[in-house]
Amino acid sequence: MLKLLQIDLVKLKNYRAFWVLNILYGLLIVSIPITVMEFLKWLKLQGADFDGFDPLKIPVLYFPDIWQNIAYVYTFLKIFLAIVVVISISNEYSYKTIRQNIIDGMSRIDFIKSKLATILLLSIGSTLLVFITGMLTGIIYTPNVEFAEMFTGIQFVFAYFLDLFTYLVLAFFLTILLKRSALTVFILLLFTPIEYAITANLPEALEFLIPYFPLHAINNLIAFPFKKYWFQEIQDYIAWEAVLVVVAYIVLYVYAIKTKLQKSDL
Amino acid sequence: MDTVLSIKNLTKHYGRVKALNNLSLDVARGNVFGILGPNGSGKTTTLGILLDVINKTSGEFAWFGQPPSKEVRKRIGAILETPIFYPYLSATKNLQIVAKIKGASVENIDPVLKRVELYERRHDKFRTYSLGMKQRLSIASALLCDPEVMILDEPTNGLDPQGIAEIRELIKEIAKDGKTIILASHLLDEVQKVCSHFCVLKKGNLIYTGSVEDVSKGAVTVEVSAEDDDLSEILEAYEGSTKVEKDGVHHLVSLKEGKTATELNAYLFSKGITVSHLNTQRKSLEKQFLELLAESDNA
Repeated sequence: MLKLLQIDLVKLKNYRAFWVLNILYGLLIVSIPITVMEFLKWLKLQGADFDGFDPLKIPVLYFPDIWQNIAYVYTFLKIFLAIVVVISISNEYSYKTIRQNIIDGMSRIDFIKSKLATILLLSIGSTLLVFITGMLTGIIYTPNVEFAEMFTGIQFVFAYFLDLFTYLVLAFFLTILLKRSALTVFILLLFTPIEYAITANLPEALEFLIPYFPLHAINNLIAFPFKKYWFQEIQDYIAWEAVLVVVAYIVLYVYAIKTKLQKSDL
Repeated sequence: MDTVLSIKNLTKHYGRVKALNNLSLDVARGNVFGILGPNGSGKTTTLGILLDVINKTSGEFAWFGQPPSKEVRKRIGAILETPIFYPYLSATKNLQIVAKIKGASVENIDPVLKRVELYERRHDKFRTYSLGMKQRLSIASALLCDPEVMILDEPTNGLDPQGIAEIRELIKEIAKDGKTIILASHLLDEVQKVCSHFCVLKKGNLIYTGSVEDVSKGAVTVEVSAEDDDLSEILEAYEGSTKVEKDGVHHLVSLKEGKTATELNAYLFSKGITVSHLNTQRKSLEKQFLELLAESDNA
């Protein structure tokens, strides 16, 4: 498995788009908390008045709120990494190197493993970056940091990992199906509006199906957290049902990729 | 016979098109085996199936007596019509990928690059290479793991004369090591020059298989000229000839099977004729090939 990862990394390390997208993604992750705090400071400077409440005291980036908040916001950036995955796989088709890899002595399963290994590495790397950014931001901005509070809600970092990994495997599956990068990215971008349009118009009798739609399943991992700042109930835990549905989807995608690849002439 | 490749009833359908129909073949160790056939006869499909990039419809094949697997493919070097590499990677990086897949040592990379004279350009991107250089990188890649079998699909397509000569040299060199070579080509001359055995495919059907030597066996025709006016009559009188024709300046003598130009020359000399021109025409593979295709049309 490690050898297969090394092979895929040789292919990616020297590919410029890979670095451009990764660095862009990393910069966004690091810069969002800074921007939010600077924005709140600016609001205060402008004399914004929340009924006499200091905007800097809104605990968006304080432990323990921070984990769910940043995990939720960062999931919107995953399209950057999805494009990395789409390009890395569609290139193999357009250069016909997938054919050559197999002629040279890879099995189709090896090929899938090597791409999954890269996806796993991207997901782990990104999760680590989120963890470090969250930790530092929390330490910097939380007044009176308490050690116990630092790790409360840390499970949302894991939810972020699962969310990202599932989405990237979906991107892998779509690329194997469509083969062309531009088309796949286009479909990936349209996926959310189309799925939400469908679920919004679902007859009431079928509404119980909504959590099982591919993107709803992923999005259900981390619930929208900001309602609590206008004093509404939020779901501040990860539902096990959501985790199960997502894991089932991962298995389904990988199985579909395997079936499709083994059936096709390259 | 030590069989390297054994194919049984291999069939491939693309929808209703039969790209390959019930092909059975054996290739022995050390053979230089040519697969001949016009365009679209199923040569590339066959090689694609043998290399596991095309799924067969039915039938079986075995490499080294084993069912096909990735381990088996690692012992095969393949040079296909178009060299396929990552265009944005250098020669060295591309070969690193191949070496890792094949389980070959990365220390082999520099020597093989030197052997195909790409060492100076090893850090340049593949996309900057000329076709000849790309094809040489294919060779380097095939040589990385010291393969037991070499598969070449139209390896000289689009190459300049120097490139063609290089590939030919390479084939001969590899064959000298006792390695098995499978060569798909439509260049008959090429196959006749390097191959020991060959088969002919047409529209997915096998229409002939045999050794190249056999092609040139059988009755021969000899071209004769001499400065003697009676030559025609004397040739007609020769009991070893079946037919004498005048073809421009030469006489074409068809000999009975087993008779050779030596015997004909001795006969003429005994009649007091010294020849000024004597040339045995071997049946060329090209002629045989066209005959085979014509026969199969009539059948």
